[in-house]
Amino acid sequence: MTWKIFSRKKHKEPWRLIFRPHGDMADIMALPGAVLEGQIAGRYLLSSTVTPGTVILQGVSRKGILAGVDVAIDHEAATEHDVDVAYQPRSGRASLRPAETVNFEEMMLKAGDEFVSVGRNPDDLACILYTSGTTGRPKGVKLAIKNFVSEHQSTAKALDVTRKDKIIGVLPFFHVFGLSNILHLGLIHGASIVLVPQYSPGSLLKTIMENHPTLIMAIPTMFVHLLAVLERRKVRLPESIRLCVSGAAPLPKDIIEAFEKCSGCRVLEGYGLTETASACCLNPPHGLCKAGSIGVPLAGFEMKIVGADGQELPPGEVGEIAVRGEGVTAGYYNLPEETNEAFKDGWFLTGDIGYQDRDGYFFITDRKKEIIIKGGLNISPREVEEVLLGHPAVKEAAVMGRKKGEREEIVAFVTTKGEISAKALISHCRQALSSFKVPDAICFMEALPMSVTGKVLKKELTDDYRDERRIRRKEIGPGPVD
Amino acid sequence: MSAESDGKRSDLVQSIERWAASLPDTVALRFEGEAITYEALNRRANRVANGLQGMGVEKGDRVAIMLPNIPEFVYALVGTLKLGAVAVPFNTLYKGGEILHILKDSGAKVLIALTNFAPMINEIRPELPALEQVILTGERNLLFAHPESTAFLQLILQRGLIKDVDGAYRKVGDIVLTVMKALGVKEAWYKHRGSIRVRGDKIATFVISEVEGLALINVVFFLGPMDTGDFLRVAWVPPEIRDKVVEPLTSVEQETGHRPPWDQVKETVAAALEEGFQVEIKEGSFVRDELFAYEKLRSLAYKAR
Repeated sequence: MTWKIFSRKKHKEPWRLIFRPHGDMADIMALPGAVLEGQIAGRYLLSSTVTPGTVILQGVSRKGILAGVDVAIDHEAATEHDVDVAYQPRSGRASLRPAETVNFEEMMLKAGDEFVSVGRNPDDLACILYTSGTTGRPKGVKLAIKNFVSEHQSTAKALDVTRKDKIIGVLPFFHVFGLSNILHLGLIHGASIVLVPQYSPGSLLKTIMENHPTLIMAIPTMFVHLLAVLERRKVRLPESIRLCVSGAAPLPKDIIEAFEKCSGCRVLEGYGLTETASACCLNPPHGLCKAGSIGVPLAGFEMKIVGADGQELPPGEVGEIAVRGEGVTAGYYNLPEETNEAFKDGWFLTGDIGYQDRDGYFFITDRKKEIIIKGGLNISPREVEEVLLGHPAVKEAAVMGRKKGEREEIVAFVTTKGEISAKALISHCRQALSSFKVPDAICFMEALPMSVTGKVLKKELTDDYRDERRIRRKEIGPGPVD
Repeated sequence: MSAESDGKRSDLVQSIERWAASLPDTVALRFEGEAITYEALNRRANRVANGLQGMGVEKGDRVAIMLPNIPEFVYALVGTLKLGAVAVPFNTLYKGGEILHILKDSGAKVLIALTNFAPMINEIRPELPALEQVILTGERNLLFAHPESTAFLQLILQRGLIKDVDGAYRKVGDIVLTVMKALGVKEAWYKHRGSIRVRGDKIATFVISEVEGLALINVVFFLGPMDTGDFLRVAWVPPEIRDKVVEPLTSVEQETGHRPPWDQVKETVAAALEEGFQVEIKEGSFVRDELFAYEKLRSLAYKAR
């Protein structure tokens, strides 16, 4: 077999092997970097020696991290755990570019400053955002220009956002919460956004302390972490903060209270979905804030509770939450059937189960797909989770149904902060729950799998969960012919 | 007419253009001590729009954005929208199979990502005929090394030597696969573009890069199990997403029961290269210019930022 990939010279120079099994972290970059610099510079400046092909084989004698400039490194932890940290220096030369790719900075350098924006209609697509459902692969949610316009109008009105605002941009912009309620909201209203590319409780607190923001949008786990750091360091947040907003997952009432007390800032809980271009419901900043509630619909959105037949249910009755408004998606990309199923009479069915109280406040009880049906009876995982969380030794809990032969059983996945046996937890549940709701099995975990926004990814706990991070040989089709 | 009163029904592009004109010096973004004004943001977004247009991106085309919250995310998004194209931002924690699905489903023509993700993107790129361009930004590297668990191989060659990048990926992949098999990992497989796996787990990975007239081929071999715990404590990652940050890895030791000694690794690698490239390999050392560069680069590498 002949290879035509590499050109051949008749009298090839031998290649040189530089072998260093016990180098250090900097060598990994500096050795090849040096050969590159030497070869490049040698040709133009230093000497006329053009070195032949070089092979460098090396390892390290100590643990190390080679970090880019934007990787958040905890230097104290590095010392404590005996890890060398090396940074890649920016050389004056054009940096390495993986073959067959374009360098962003080079593209920018070559392009002109002026551009006349292409005309667009409100119905034109602005983004497709992929969301991981509880089952199957991520679905692409179509979000049109008008969805974002409606959303920023609703939230700017509720939160009174102006160009005086400074918003902490810690929520990832690839997620609807950050994309709509930080990037769009901030930049459309002339505010400034402080970017936090790499979240850690320390970096978030530092950014807040140094920048004196007016608004903080974050997810429950971030508030929990912030609270712990504030309590430990006995500091308060800057006076500049006028409001904090939490979303994407429920924030427990006691955390809200503790955070408000410790930070001196108000925390509003809201609710939204990728399909509604983020928030569609929020506890009002100037009105009654109900603990455990996701608040009232934002201007531009209508919400109702519907029964299995799609009929609206009266206050107090539990059903599925439906949303309508200009912020709501037209549907899923390339998925007409799923789109059809998700809408009824122009209302988007959220898949969230809840109720509305007499004051118009909405409450969520469960995800529709997560309801466990055992022996014909409906069991709310959240009800069981709350009982488990009521035990002092339980840190986190996720309850779900699992097929065992013909019957469905209830499994509780828990992380703990103290000693507790499965038997003791089950007897704790027996005291608070009807017997058919008591978990059949308790699985102790080191951590529960969570999304970037702090939702427990229950699908990753199922027996038949496919790890999508792996690439399987058969999935990537036939290789190139050789 | 003030931008504030007129902005009520504006979309992102209109608003930024209006702020850039009416209040050019107002700060839009703050990042690592840098203040980026609305004027600068708008100008850079224009550059992205021009750049993308030059690559043939048109109204309605999908532009995938896999970036964390850095200014480039905002330039890329606004530039894409200025073109009337559709932005497809997605999770930077997504790995192979998930990215493949999103890029395939959306039919993205361009992907903008961090340089870090180049090896991963490379591996799935042949499956994505619609993906015409991959634009990479940032010198962001996160690389772990552990004594006895990792071996790094770098090949520095004249760029003119490589006639066909796809073929070079095939060739180098075959050489790395030969090394793995020679070290006793019989189950290793390689299809294309940079990852040698056992089942779905990575056991070696490489990327081919270019700089000026040179080509650099960077290979990482996993010889022994990698304890990532220490690293994850140093580069802070929330415990619940740790599994997602590190790809599933395996190693020669995990597959064969023993870790090959360095001499064996050296001989195996040299033999595979000599055979694969039909070239003689001799032990050597730095020449003068390289020693000079080495001292300079090494001192820079440990200089904390």
